[in-house]
Amino acid sequence: MQFNKKLPTIFLDSNSEYELVDSKVNIVLSPSLYWVKKISLPVKSVRDTLKLLPSIFEDILPDGNYSYYAYKNGDEFIVFAYNDKFILDTISQKGISLSNISNIYFAQTEITNLESAIKIDEKQSIYIKDDILILIPCCWIEEKSELDFSDIKHSKHKITIHQFGHIVETKSLYKIGAILVVMILLLSSEYFITSYKSSNIISAKDEIFQNYKLKSTTFQNKALLKKYKNIDTLQTKIREYISYILKLKLQKAERISFISFKNKKMLISFSGVSKSREDVIKKTLTSKGINFKVKPTKDGMKIEVSL
Amino acid sequence: MNRINPLYIGLSLVVLLSFISYKLNMVTNEYDVAKSEYKETLALANELKSLKNVYGDKKRVKKSLQKILNHSSLRVSEINKSFTKSTLKIDAKTIDVKALNFLMGKLLNGTYQITNIKIKKLSDLRVSLELEIKW
Repeated sequence: MQFNKKLPTIFLDSNSEYELVDSKVNIVLSPSLYWVKKISLPVKSVRDTLKLLPSIFEDILPDGNYSYYAYKNGDEFIVFAYNDKFILDTISQKGISLSNISNIYFAQTEITNLESAIKIDEKQSIYIKDDILILIPCCWIEEKSELDFSDIKHSKHKITIHQFGHIVETKSLYKIGAILVVMILLLSSEYFITSYKSSNIISAKDEIFQNYKLKSTTFQNKALLKKYKNIDTLQTKIREYISYILKLKLQKAERISFISFKNKKMLISFSGVSKSREDVIKKTLTSKGINFKVKPTKDGMKIEVSL
Repeated sequence: MNRINPLYIGLSLVVLLSFISYKLNMVTNEYDVAKSEYKETLALANELKSLKNVYGDKKRVKKSLQKILNHSSLRVSEINKSFTKSTLKIDAKTIDVKALNFLMGKLLNGTYQITNIKIKKLSDLRVSLELEIKW
């Protein structure tokens, strides 16, 4: 809990030297780490101003990815541009761990009441000119005091450094995140819908067992079905073959004297059938796809059909 | 600057997405299996029900056979019929061809499980008959 705890403040400048810091600190950025302007714009809100800042700073910024900040100061706006990566690199060079940084401020917003120049190191001082805090060489002004942040009360103008702003734009990150979240939501709803459908179909399957009074396992039911199918196939064949036999066109003296069926074997005896007629009957039965054996008898022939 | 690294958030989202995809894939497979099992069970149940009604309904088969055998066309014929728990045996030493045609027409056109047939011609108008029907 840091609410009531006053943290030390470091003035961060690329030319200054620091002792390694192990505790939490606030950082005040030197004017060398950002660009600042005081401008009048025909807009009312800071939000609208922020949209215009890339084009306002376009001419003075070197190539790179920049973040922007603005606040209203009377009728005018104080606007900032800063390079996240450059600030991060400077923090890193000074041996300050990012996890130890509580808040980051601009020197412009934190150092407001300067009566004279303040020395920040052996070579540079800061000085306020036309409401803008500027960095000047030490030799320009002789009377200067030391920088002291012991009694500083920080403003509300803290900024956030985007660590990956130089790799992916924040907007793109949000877009990618939003797409991932949407996909997660879609897949999650698909998951719940499919689970629901799956459980419904499982209950419907159980209902089939009850409604059709099936045996408890599919295996038993399949075996039972196989048994009935075999019966049905055999019974259909019996009727089919008897029908073929009875439809045979026999001549006057020819008769069917015996028909039997047992143990999947059908026997048909013909009487008064001559040798030539035997061939005709055999041919007819073969044409119906019946497999049979022929045995000659005293007055005709006997046909044995395996079903 | 104590912000959560967006890379960690992105990575967590990707991991979560992968996990949900994996779970979805599993549940989709389960659903497909359940669906095909349901279809298979329904087809099996319908087929089994219709075949059971045909060959497994003992009461219906027995009642229908009794009706055929009590028909006026067969009354004059000397047909011995014996019903057991699961079979009907018909035995006629001699039977008229017309009665035979009637009986066989009914039996062969009906859905009875015939296990034994023996028809022997005695003369042009008479035959002997042995039949067994199971249910």
